[in-house]
Amino acid sequence: MKARDNPFSTDCVLHIRYRPLGITWPELLERLKALAYRAAIVGPDGSGKTTLLEDLEPHFRALGFTPKWLRLTEEDPTFRREFLRRFLAGLNPRDVVLFDGADLMGGWSWARLKRQTAHAGGLIITSHRAGLLPTLIECRTTPQLLGEIVAQLAGDDAPPQEFIFQLYDKHMGNIRETLRHMYDLWAHR
Amino acid sequence: MSVLQITLHDNRTEFLPGETVEGRVSWQLAQPAKSVEVRLFWFTRGKGTTDVEVAATARFDRPAPSDQQPFRFTLPKAPYSFSGKLISLVWAIELVVEPSGETERVEIVLSPTGREILLYPDLASPA
Repeated sequence: MKARDNPFSTDCVLHIRYRPLGITWPELLERLKALAYRAAIVGPDGSGKTTLLEDLEPHFRALGFTPKWLRLTEEDPTFRREFLRRFLAGLNPRDVVLFDGADLMGGWSWARLKRQTAHAGGLIITSHRAGLLPTLIECRTTPQLLGEIVAQLAGDDAPPQEFIFQLYDKHMGNIRETLRHMYDLWAHR
Repeated sequence: MSVLQITLHDNRTEFLPGETVEGRVSWQLAQPAKSVEVRLFWFTRGKGTTDVEVAATARFDRPAPSDQQPFRFTLPKAPYSFSGKLISLVWAIELVVEPSGETERVEIVLSPTGREILLYPDLASPA
């Protein structure tokens, strides 16, 4: 199959947005407000942390905040000092910092950043572990959730649920990796 | 919701490098717009990160609620349209309304043969 026809291509997968499990969007936003917009989205790889953080952005805009992004990855786990200095100097109380990958920061750096963003309107982070900020939500996945996503992407061409559940187990609930696996299977059709 | 349409001259969608792609865009806007822009661009689709590059644009500021305009772009020499199993490079013409972000897109092919280049022979058969 041509890459452009693959239903599991990156651009198709990116259209799948976060689906809260066991909590509604209004409840999630209420909880965020109760935490004074300083909270952590916690969960393992491929559980939807970054997607949820992205999906919060329009909600903050609707509240009159300006979302400002910080992002660390395992490939790029540090900020350039000058970049961070300028970023922090430009923050004001109407800004909300959305920080993806906060747990990649060292302990001292994190403590300093937390202090230096105290005057911003909010600080929402993603992290693999709890404890950096009060937990907003622990992201998790289920085989049924994966099944729904695969059905949405592949439509009538979706494989049997039993097969999807096997892949879910193989990738230990990491939906991103499972969908990449599905891409490869479709690519060789 | 606005109604957007792109019509290519003679409905032609396959081109050689350096050729001209021309046509007409039309719109009926649901709300006043700041601009309407026609873009000639390519993007990648596949397993990895998506790349996009805009090659040319034609912009209509403060557009009338309902209008149509011709467009004409000279295609560059590269990159060629191609498909493999991991990545495809796709050329397209897009009509974009700002600030609503509404879009309409027509995909075209740019290659020395006028056909999409396939990296594997078995990709030639229908998916």
